[in-house]
Amino acid sequence: MSTTPLDRSRVPAPGPLRPYHFPRVDRRTLSNGLSVLVAEQRNFPIATFDLVLPAAGGAADTDDQAGLAGLTASLLESGAGERDADELAEAIDDLGLSLDAGLTWDTTQVGFTALRSRAAEGFGILADVVRRPTFPDDEVERLRVERVASVTQRRGTPSSLAEEVASRYVFAEGVDYRRPLGGLARTVGGLHRAQVEAFHAAHYRPQTAALVAAGDVSADEVAELAERWLGDWTGAPPPLAEPPVRPGLERTTIVIAHRPGAVQSEIRVSHVGIERAAPDFFAVSVLNSILGGVFSSRLNLNLRERLGYTYGVSSSFGSRRRPGVFSATTSVQTETTAHSVSEMLREMREIREAPVTDAELADARDFLAGIFPQGVQTTDGVSGKLATIFTYGLPDDYYAHYREGIRAVTADEVLDAARRRLWPDRAAVVIAGDADVIRGPLEELGIGPVEVVEAASLG
Amino acid sequence: MRIPIDRYTLENGLRVVLSEDHTTPVVAVNLWYNVGSRNELPGKTGLAHLFEHMMFQGSQNVGEPGHIALVERAGGNLNGSTWLDRTNYYDTVPSDQLELALWLESDRMGFFVPALTQEKFDTQREVVKNERRQRVEHAPYGDWDERIQAMVYPDDHPYHHSVIGSMVDLDAASLDDVREFFETYYVPNNAVLTLCGDFDPAEARRLIEAYFGPFPRGPEIPPLPGRPVPEPLKIGREVRAEVEDPKVPLARLYLAWRIPPYGEPEYYAADLLAELLAGGKSTRLYRTTVRERRLARGIGAFTFPVITGASAFLVRGNVPAGGDARALEAAVFEEIDRISTHGPDAAEMERALTGLEARHILDLQKPSERADTLSMLTTYFDDPERINTELDRYRAVTADDVRRLAREYLGADNRVALTYLQPALQEAA
Repeated sequence: MSTTPLDRSRVPAPGPLRPYHFPRVDRRTLSNGLSVLVAEQRNFPIATFDLVLPAAGGAADTDDQAGLAGLTASLLESGAGERDADELAEAIDDLGLSLDAGLTWDTTQVGFTALRSRAAEGFGILADVVRRPTFPDDEVERLRVERVASVTQRRGTPSSLAEEVASRYVFAEGVDYRRPLGGLARTVGGLHRAQVEAFHAAHYRPQTAALVAAGDVSADEVAELAERWLGDWTGAPPPLAEPPVRPGLERTTIVIAHRPGAVQSEIRVSHVGIERAAPDFFAVSVLNSILGGVFSSRLNLNLRERLGYTYGVSSSFGSRRRPGVFSATTSVQTETTAHSVSEMLREMREIREAPVTDAELADARDFLAGIFPQGVQTTDGVSGKLATIFTYGLPDDYYAHYREGIRAVTADEVLDAARRRLWPDRAAVVIAGDADVIRGPLEELGIGPVEVVEAASLG
Repeated sequence: MRIPIDRYTLENGLRVVLSEDHTTPVVAVNLWYNVGSRNELPGKTGLAHLFEHMMFQGSQNVGEPGHIALVERAGGNLNGSTWLDRTNYYDTVPSDQLELALWLESDRMGFFVPALTQEKFDTQREVVKNERRQRVEHAPYGDWDERIQAMVYPDDHPYHHSVIGSMVDLDAASLDDVREFFETYYVPNNAVLTLCGDFDPAEARRLIEAYFGPFPRGPEIPPLPGRPVPEPLKIGREVRAEVEDPKVPLARLYLAWRIPPYGEPEYYAADLLAELLAGGKSTRLYRTTVRERRLARGIGAFTFPVITGASAFLVRGNVPAGGDARALEAAVFEEIDRISTHGPDAAEMERALTGLEARHILDLQKPSERADTLSMLTTYFDDPERINTELDRYRAVTADDVRRLAREYLGADNRVALTYLQPALQEAA
């Protein structure tokens, strides 16, 4: 027992730092070109397996068939191999698998987490679902209708509406990122089974894909499962079009998505962001943390803690294979809309004008480095990191050195990142709110033209 | 797999639970206060939650830059939440920062009042009102739980009103209310502290005693206001409401029945029933209402894990565009009637148990989740060991238990139906 009396007036110093190592990444390639990445983590009797298909992400869609990649992924569980939809659902639930097919711009990912004892059986189902989906007519029809409805519903949610509108202004005509990832009611409504089947046949191929696995399982066990269930899977998908990303705006423009009677304004200050493999990714991460990435960020301390306008405000750089969207995001009381917008833009300008303070820099680096292990406490957390390594071509030891990379960022690098990556004078300021109330004050700000759009006119 | 547990109680009544796991150098510090919106008096709704916000505004020794910034710069995350039965606070930090988290949590348990100011209070009141606007008023279906609570629980039951509270009551709240709330409920004998993750147990015990040991035991906690046990337990009739709301993109149906509270054997039967009705795509409700008859776009069933007098069993379904909420409702009642008459079959009982078991283990992977569960079980049942035996309670449920639960509680004489509708059909796009 210590005899020193407790001094509560000082922040306690940290104890000895305990080491942490990201699990070693084992990488192999099957003869059909499928990569296999495995990381062991054995504290719980659980394992996660994910098939990562970069050729089947949202970027593989065409404008007039937007939503096809998503519809295809959603139909994988509707029947596969010898099983119809009900039999497949029973097989999945019998094993207690949380099987999931997810779509991003850069991948379709199909995988599951299960108790170790059920992993091998689960893997057989995963292989069926990815390789031999049957796309029954009635299920295609049901999910097509559901997804059209989901597009409708999306526009009823202020945050989704604001994001959809923002993408249209952030990117120039001809850039795929301009359209919503899941497609439009018009494009999804026009999809049919033959297109789904053709998309699956062309894009679900092992040549550019990976199996990632993490948890209570060894690399040899995973390789064995992969050989057994995926070894005779063959073929290469078509190359992705990947049009170059060009910004849609020359100057900051305010766009109101009109919601009559709204008690709050949902605000997005958005412009082109960065690609995930960008060399200044760490500097941008630190920059974002200081601007709006944490509770004690400049934006949140100002709009929430000082002004009390909002429950919270944040910023993020959505990083994709090509530059995605930067957004500063909040939802504020209607009356404070114009002032909130001008404060958000002011914070974006100020962080480009002078270096962040030493304290801000140290806090942001310590936060990002310290929080990292929390993202890898679960098997799906670790498998997600493996998927990122594979999808964006990062080195296998990327996460082993992640914390060092973050800790090496300097104030000059943050300033440089702010000047190149934040565009307060070329942003789409999109507000889902009551145009009748907020339009006048926004025009009075004099920061750019003000347009009003109706959700129904978005096509 | 067994979660290790070491529990003890300080002289002042603070209950402590320690659970080691050295997989990652992270420790979760989790503190539950046995107070929630159920403790609020008439005219004071929303006070417990507004109070929770004030707990982040500093205490005597925690000035600038404040609790949140100190945890973030240490590489941790944190939050608090208020619910019907409890309020929790949690800091998950790199394990070398354990003492920081204990210092912060103990300072606001012991030295909160001297740091209160009217200015901080006024700002947080605005933040909470904006939270209400954002989550309840502006979001489609955002007031569903407020409406369901008011329909399921009688006027004089502590769950009748919502956690967020009314704008009128928030406006009327005062700094004196905050002070009084603290002195009444934020005492060591009304709290549970759990550590989970990477720590040295002897060192943890020493630090906990040093930081929390000196606080005096508080007064006895006053009884809950109103009538906490509805008598009789069942509602006795059907309660219906239809809400026309232009914000609503698709019609949505909520159905609710009053059932025995979390902890009772019937509750586990109800939770198992929720899993076997709608827990996966092989379930009855998914199969009939979503896949086959297409009356719903997504369907869910769940129970409220609440302990004061009565819980609720709920079913939620989205109605497809052009669909009929009444037809969906009838289809749900049909499946429930079938369960009431014939009970579930053995295969679906087994499947539901498998699903619950897998999820239970998956959910406990994170030390922060484990810590929260341990605090909950200690606060509600004074028994953290239940984390290792909770699944046995589900395994003990028989198909006939499920049938009897459905027959007794899920009938027309005990149900609530809330439907959100669009005011009028809009022009097709």
